[in-house]
Amino acid sequence: MTTGERVDVLVIGAGASGAAVAWMLARAGIGVTCLEQGDWVDPKSYPHWQPDWELHRHTDWSPEPNVRRLPQDYPVNDAASAIAPLMFNAVGGSTIHWSAHFPRLRPSDFRVRSLDGVADDWPVDYAALEPFFDLNDRMMGVAGLAGDPAYPPKSPRQTPPIALDTLGVTMARGFDRLGWHWWPSDSAILTRDYDGRRACNNCGPCDLGCPTGAKASTDVTYWPKALALGARLVTQARVREITVGPDGRADGVLYHDRDGRVVEQKARAVVLAANGIGTPRLLLNSRSAHFPDGLANRSGLVGRNLMFHPYAIVRGVFDEPLGGHRGPTGCSIISQEFYETDLSRGFVRGYSFQVARGLSPISTATGGLGGNGVPWGREHRRAYDTRFDRTIGVAVIGEDLPEAHNRVDLDPGLTDSHGIPAPRVSYTLSDNSRRMLEHGAARASEALLAAGARAVDVNPLLRAGGWHLMGTARMGTDPATSVIDAEGRCHDVPNLYIVDGSTMVTSGGVNPTSTLQAVALYIADGMIRRRA
Amino acid sequence: MTLSAERTLLIPILDALVPPSGDFPGAGTVALDHIVAAAAASPDLDALLCRALHAIGEAAGANRFASMSEDDRETVLRRVEESQPEAFAALVRHTYYGYYGHLTVITALGLDPTPVQPRGHQSDPLEPPDLARVTQRGPLYRPT
Repeated sequence: MTTGERVDVLVIGAGASGAAVAWMLARAGIGVTCLEQGDWVDPKSYPHWQPDWELHRHTDWSPEPNVRRLPQDYPVNDAASAIAPLMFNAVGGSTIHWSAHFPRLRPSDFRVRSLDGVADDWPVDYAALEPFFDLNDRMMGVAGLAGDPAYPPKSPRQTPPIALDTLGVTMARGFDRLGWHWWPSDSAILTRDYDGRRACNNCGPCDLGCPTGAKASTDVTYWPKALALGARLVTQARVREITVGPDGRADGVLYHDRDGRVVEQKARAVVLAANGIGTPRLLLNSRSAHFPDGLANRSGLVGRNLMFHPYAIVRGVFDEPLGGHRGPTGCSIISQEFYETDLSRGFVRGYSFQVARGLSPISTATGGLGGNGVPWGREHRRAYDTRFDRTIGVAVIGEDLPEAHNRVDLDPGLTDSHGIPAPRVSYTLSDNSRRMLEHGAARASEALLAAGARAVDVNPLLRAGGWHLMGTARMGTDPATSVIDAEGRCHDVPNLYIVDGSTMVTSGGVNPTSTLQAVALYIADGMIRRRA
Repeated sequence: MTLSAERTLLIPILDALVPPSGDFPGAGTVALDHIVAAAAASPDLDALLCRALHAIGEAAGANRFASMSEDDRETVLRRVEESQPEAFAALVRHTYYGYYGHLTVITALGLDPTPVQPRGHQSDPLEPPDLARVTQRGPLYRPT
């Protein structure tokens, strides 16, 4: 075993939140080292440069680690989960394969206990986070349009919104006919050159990574700046355990380097940014005399309260071509007509609609995320031709409420390639979420028909939809009911911080990356202030 | 039994799944190589697809699948779809992967078969709908 020099702050994970924290700390002159189990992705290695690019979505570029099975991935036992967790392990983390749909949580999302009597309030609110939302927007670069009445006023977006194209305009007219809210999505994808990055050329499959750098994965946003400020990034470094000193404080980690050797890295503070599954996995794997049930787990809540966003997908079939293969795949329109609680609907809290682009050739045949494929046999050609370039998908993104039985723990038998116990995910969909998705699917069908669809097809719950991993080391003021405090410090280990989606007390009904990055910057700001 | 040894049997099966039509070839012509390669790369997939083929052979009975009428082929395949849903679904899925990933088919769909980068796409220069209706409703977020 070799031992590195003690560093000021050791960040584990180079994805959405780890990159943001590393940059902010480095900017303040704090010595930062980040360990990332994946590696840099060479822009020339993306599938987009190959004629068979779409096939890669189902193999080495699948969002499911259990399908991809790359050396940097770890297996996840999701047999007991209604939703399969998705992630990517690389510099940039899951921002490599995200769609970059970039809404924020709304003010009410931070006050759900006070407003609706469910879950818990966050110990921070929208107003406190607003400067960090704004800072993060500038760092990532957001295409959008200020003035959305679904949110408090935002500062001007960095570039104009992504063009709606025929598909988006068609759907917007549907919402207009019903008198419902819609707005061009905030998207972390540039429509003009910005901050040294080039504008998007609308190639389409953002979920396979962005070969031009127009999409804001943190390998092209935060990391170049963080490294220029002196942050150090070690890749192919898989942490197996956070170590604890005699005083019960975190004093570093043990990790496997790219040659498989175990390295001890000492640190004055440790920041966990390994996502809502990787973070509880690492804490539960870090047992010691001080913490026999896992590090920072005196509450027993590490790994509990796992929230995904359950998704329903409704696909409308239209008579005319829609050009849906052009442009960023996940970004077109958002509607938050049914976001806030209205108990007459039969559930508490609410959901968003995310209108995505159309399906590429293979996805049209298999049904894509909707899952209802084109029939085989003599009817195949006719059925395929009625769908190809003639569908619009509306995703219903429901707010998932925290439930202690939905959890991440350690699998008793499964390990990764280094022999480290792998995570096991147990998750059932609540009745509230089921009713919410049913309502959303019915309303999405209504919107599609209003837009001119001649038929709709509903997938009531997307299994391969676990993009958002939240709540497994939640923030709060009470050590008995939360893992970290309002400053991101573990109640049990004051120099151990958590900054990824694990921190989220509630999920909201929108994609979480903008919010979890703002929270990460807020926590980093607190670290800097206390140090000063 | 491995799938690569069953190419002759596979061709009419794939053609029954996606028959030739107009400018579009049958899947037996363009998806075969992909399926065989995918099975060769994954023993699990190879076993699954072989199970489907075995079931199709059994369902065809004394008649050889290749010599059956189109109606009878579909009847056999529907029987196997019911009796071996997982294996049959894998066969269909990989047929679609190979077929709609093939440049001949992409071209027949009217798309540019070259990689999406560096060319990208031009979007339609459409005027977005007027958002005044949306903004006139005033703030939609809940006061806290």
